[in-house]
Amino acid sequence: MTFAIKVENLCKQYGVHHAVNGISFTVEQGTLFAFLGANGAGKSTTIEILCTLLKKSSGNVTINGFKLDVSNDNAEIRKSIGVVFQQSLLDTRLTVRENILHRGRTYGLSKTQLAENYQFVSSYLHLDDIEKQKYGTLSGGQKRRADIARALIHRPTILFLDEPTTGLDPQTRQFVWQAIKQLQQETNMTVFLTTHYMEEAAVAHQVIVLKQGKIVAQGTPDALKTKYAYDSMALVFNNNIDGVKWLEDHAISYTVKQEIYTIRLDSTLHALLLLKKAEPLIASFEVIKGTMDDVFLHIMAEEGVA
Amino acid sequence: MSLVQRNSKVFRRDKTQVFFSLLSVIIVIVLYAVFLQKMQVDAIERITVATPELITMVNEWLVAGLLSMIAVTTTLGAYGIAIKDQETKAQADFLTAPLSRATIQMSYVLNALIIGSVFSFIALIGCEIFIVATGGKLLSLEHFVQVLGILFLSVLLASVFNLFLSLFVSTQNAFSTLGTIVGTVLGFLCGVYVPLGALPGFAQNLIMYFPISHTTVLLRNTFMESSIANVFKDVPASYVEDYKINFGIVYELQGNILSTSTSIIVIVGTILVLAIVSILLFKRKYK
Repeated sequence: MTFAIKVENLCKQYGVHHAVNGISFTVEQGTLFAFLGANGAGKSTTIEILCTLLKKSSGNVTINGFKLDVSNDNAEIRKSIGVVFQQSLLDTRLTVRENILHRGRTYGLSKTQLAENYQFVSSYLHLDDIEKQKYGTLSGGQKRRADIARALIHRPTILFLDEPTTGLDPQTRQFVWQAIKQLQQETNMTVFLTTHYMEEAAVAHQVIVLKQGKIVAQGTPDALKTKYAYDSMALVFNNNIDGVKWLEDHAISYTVKQEIYTIRLDSTLHALLLLKKAEPLIASFEVIKGTMDDVFLHIMAEEGVA
Repeated sequence: MSLVQRNSKVFRRDKTQVFFSLLSVIIVIVLYAVFLQKMQVDAIERITVATPELITMVNEWLVAGLLSMIAVTTTLGAYGIAIKDQETKAQADFLTAPLSRATIQMSYVLNALIIGSVFSFIALIGCEIFIVATGGKLLSLEHFVQVLGILFLSVLLASVFNLFLSLFVSTQNAFSTLGTIVGTVLGFLCGVYVPLGALPGFAQNLIMYFPISHTTVLLRNTFMESSIANVFKDVPASYVEDYKINFGIVYELQGNILSTSTSIIVIVGTILVLAIVSILLFKRKYK
C-alpha cells in the first residue's frame, strides 16, 4: 500500500487554542479522501498545513515521500499538489486561458509541456467555451471549472479541494464532481476533499470526521453508516388507530408527522419482515436508507455539538 | 518573470487604477494651466523681458516636476496589486506553487519598476512633444540621455520608497488612503504645486530633506540648462541664482548650494537604506 499523505500527531496551536490537536491519518494513493467537520473544526487549518501555507506546531507530515517543513522538501511537495480554494482567486480582468497559463508558468514548465497540460485539463473541464472570457464575467460554475483547471495545470498527483462545490447549483455541482471523479480514476490522482455536502463524502474511499481539532470518527462511508446511521421506514396506515395499536403491541417505537409513522429498522431486510406481518394494515410505505447526513449529525450529537 | 508579466497585465487592464495613479499629475497640469505658469512668468518678468524662450523655460520647469511625480504615483499604483493579492488571498494560490514569498514580493517590485519606467518614458515623450508644440526645442542627445538616467534613478527610488510604504499596509482600503496621501503630499514635497521660495523656511527644509525631491531638482537642471542660459543672458548672476533657489532648480542648504553629485548621493543612499529596511521589515512580517 502506497501512501500519498501520512500525518502523525499533527498539532497547530494559536496561543492556548488548539486548532488541530494531535491528529494522525494516512491517505492511500489514488483514492478519494473526505475530511468532514463543522465550521471551525480544523479542516481548513489542516489543509493549509498540508499545502505548505501554514507552519505546523508539531507532528510529522509526509506528502508523496517528502517531509513537510524539512529543507527543500516543501518545494517538491508544492510541485506535486494542486489546490482548489473555497474562494475564487484568479484574476478577474484576465481571461481564463491567461490565468491558467500564467499560473502554470510558475511551475517552470516548458512551453510545450504547458500547452499539452492545458489541452489535457481543457478537455476534462470543457474550457473551450470559456477560455477567452474574462474570469470576472463567468458564472459561479464556470469559475469553479477554471479554478480546478488552474489547480491541475501542472498535473499534480494530489488534488486538495476545500469545499469546491459550495454555492453551486445542483447541475453544476454534478458536472464539477463528475469531472473530478473521472480525472481521479483515469489518472490515479489522490483527491483530498473537504465538503459540507454529505452525498459527496458518501462516494469517498475513506472519511474522517473532525471536531474541535480532533478526529472523532473515521472509516469507509459504509462502515460509518453501519455504525452511526440507520435505515428507517415510513408507514401510512389504512386506519391510524389500528396501526398505532399494532406498533405498540409489537413494542415498536415510532415518530409521527402528518399521519406518517416512521420506525427505525435494524437493517433493510427488517422492513420485509415487518411488512409481511402488518400488510393488511398498510396503505403505503417507504424504506429510507441511512445517509452520511445521519452519520454526521449522529457523530456531532454524540459529541454534543448538533 | 511569469508573475511579473501577470502583475503587469493585471495593472494595465485596470483602467481605473491607471487613471488614479496619474491623477496627481493631471491635477498639476490643471494647476499649471490655471495659475502656476502665469505666476512664474510674472515673477520672471520683473527681472527680464518676457520672450517665447521664457515660456519654454517655465514649461520645462513643469515637465521636470511632472516626470518626477509620475515615477512615484505609477509605481505606487503598481503595488496595489500586491495589496489586493494579499487581501483576496491570491498570494496563497501563488504560494502553493514552488515560489517563495520573497520571489513573489520581488515580482511586485520588478513590476513596479517596469510600470514606472514605461509610464515615465511615455510621459517624457509626451512632454517633449508638448515643449516642441509650445515653441521650444527638443532636448539634445546628451541631455536626453541624462534625463533617461535620472528617470531610471527616479523610478528605482520611487519603487523602493513605495515598497517600504506598502509593507505597512495590508488592506485595499488602507492602500487607497495611502495613495490619496502620497498623491496630495507629493506635489508639495517635490515643490511642484507651490514653488519652493513661496514656502516658509521649515517647509523648504522639509522639501530639501525629502529624497524624491532631489530627482525633481536633477530633472529641472537638465531640462532647463539651455533655456536658463538663453532667458537670463543679460541678467546679473545673483538674480539667476535667486530664481534657481526660489523655484527649486537648485537647493541651498545652510548657505551652500547643493551640487548635482550631492543630489545623486542622496538618491542612491536613500535607495540603499530603504531597500535594506524593506528587506528587514519583510522578513519580520513573514517570519
